[in-house]
Amino acid sequence: MSYESPIREPLVTGGKTYADVTRDILRPLENNASKSWWIGFSISAVVLAIWIAATTWTMLEGIGSWGLNKTVGWAFDITNFVFWVGIGHAGTLISAVLLLFRQKWRMSINRSAEAMTIFAVICAASFILSHMGRPWVAYWPIPLPNAFGSLWVNFNSPLVWDVFAISTYFSVSLVFWYIGLIPDIATVRDRAQGIRKFVYNFFSMGWNGSTRTWHRYEMISLILAGISTPLVFSVHSIVSMDFATSLVPGWHTTIFPPYFVAGAIFSGFGMVLTLLVIGRVVLKQEEYITMGHLDAMCRVVMLTGTMVGLAYITEFFVAAYSGVEYEQYAFINRASGPYWWSYWIMMSCNLIAPQVFWTKWARSTPWFIFLMSIIVNIGMWFERFVIIVTSLHRDFLPSSWTMYAPTFTEVAILIGSFGLFFTLYFLFTKYLPTINMAEVKSIIPTHAHDDHHDTAHAEKGDVAHG
Amino acid sequence: MLGVYDNPDTVFAVTEKLVQSGYDVHDVYTPFAVHNLDKVIGVKRTRLSTAAFIFAMTGLLSAVTLQTYTSYFDWQMNIGGKPSLHIPTYIPITFELSILFTAFGMVGCFFFVNRMFFGRNTDVIDIRVTDDRFVIAVNIHSKTDVKALEQAFVSGGALEVKERAKEI
Repeated sequence: MSYESPIREPLVTGGKTYADVTRDILRPLENNASKSWWIGFSISAVVLAIWIAATTWTMLEGIGSWGLNKTVGWAFDITNFVFWVGIGHAGTLISAVLLLFRQKWRMSINRSAEAMTIFAVICAASFILSHMGRPWVAYWPIPLPNAFGSLWVNFNSPLVWDVFAISTYFSVSLVFWYIGLIPDIATVRDRAQGIRKFVYNFFSMGWNGSTRTWHRYEMISLILAGISTPLVFSVHSIVSMDFATSLVPGWHTTIFPPYFVAGAIFSGFGMVLTLLVIGRVVLKQEEYITMGHLDAMCRVVMLTGTMVGLAYITEFFVAAYSGVEYEQYAFINRASGPYWWSYWIMMSCNLIAPQVFWTKWARSTPWFIFLMSIIVNIGMWFERFVIIVTSLHRDFLPSSWTMYAPTFTEVAILIGSFGLFFTLYFLFTKYLPTINMAEVKSIIPTHAHDDHHDTAHAEKGDVAHG
Repeated sequence: MLGVYDNPDTVFAVTEKLVQSGYDVHDVYTPFAVHNLDKVIGVKRTRLSTAAFIFAMTGLLSAVTLQTYTSYFDWQMNIGGKPSLHIPTYIPITFELSILFTAFGMVGCFFFVNRMFFGRNTDVIDIRVTDDRFVIAVNIHSKTDVKALEQAFVSGGALEVKERAKEI
């Protein structure tokens, strides 16, 4: 099907046939769950219970159960929200942007990365709900005809833009993911029996693999990728405008949109690596998610980490150059004030640590990549903490200067949100194919598996449509 | 009549030959998109891209209408003395709604033209086409030379050739 250059490493190793692909990828779905799956799922479910308890407590008790005060009115909740939304961005980047660039290495990782996007956005949305304090009025930012004296929402506010951006992002990502799943759900359907067949048949929507359908399918995939690409950039730009359109020194910077988007891609790839370095071994998918894939993702991490680092330094320069003493103080306070440690965790995890990926050894050692992915996750969480808390805690009036520390409830919600994320992810690995089989089959060399056809014939086919 | 193959290149070559010999190739069923096969069997370029554009414009108009109506015509709000009709601040929501309408409208059309819906029981031509087999389906008319067609299937490397009475 595809022409493969002899000097390039194959994207799928092990000389797989099409049937091998189906069998390997459906193995976790068609067999009883392994012991490691049960262990992972149980731990996640327990952590999810922590999330449920802490969120419920917040709703019963109110925002007073958090460590917020008059000066720092926005802290852990928004840090976590931005953190999770950022993580979601890698999925769309891999599936949409790499599709537009025709990067075929995306094909074995896009499914799990998109699933990660959806689950991460669910986690992010949960923080929006809980930070409102009164989640039962969460529909207020939606422009609905209402009985409050025909009071509409304020369309000049980036918080309203955010409502539209996040909900569009979530629903479009879900559609894109589901469209990609349909052919694979049909594969599961055609191998299943009984109740499983009924369920997968329901969700396969009558897929039959006809060339006419594939023709339309390719078109809508391309257009969905085309609209998802600006969408993903717009979402994090709008998230950054929640801060950038304010007058708070440290937030009020025009560099925020590109800087947040680079940071989102960086943290998202960090999380993709965390999941896949483990997942490829546990699900026995080393031949599909090869060292070449990990290498490519490490390069993206290094590039985006350096971009984020450049933004940190640019902010400092602009603050110094602006001559605005509030702006200058905000940055000096960040690096040397009472929260200096969080600033330097951010700097070392995001700018300095990823530089190790210049070496081939770092990009080809799975345990080290895993370690680095955790460091990236920590660094990016602290980036949001630094931006939000250090800009607020010393405001214009020194009499209102204060410190912020999270309470037990807030920490429990953060830890618990990982339970929510991983519970959904474990369910996904059990019930849906974690690799896009239809796409992976299209990048397998056609004559690798059937030697009973003459090679000359196959190569002629390659020239004709490869 | 159906010819079952296990290699996309063979399928491509055989389909091309059949179309050139004037057989009525109904469709080719494949486990993944075989590029350019659509052109060989004469599938016209889909109009879904036009539909997508129309939906994008619908989303754009809806967003502009919603925002100007609510914040300017229906009830103006004075928030910090800022203008009520301020086009630049409408851009983000206009953009998001255009994308939202495009995605849902286009995918809805895609399901409609393929007659796909949740719970549809499709008449699967061969359950292996979602795994590793490629099936060429040729319509047989009264004038079709069935023997020659069968010969063309087999000489192209078909693993199986079978007839199917039911219309697809």
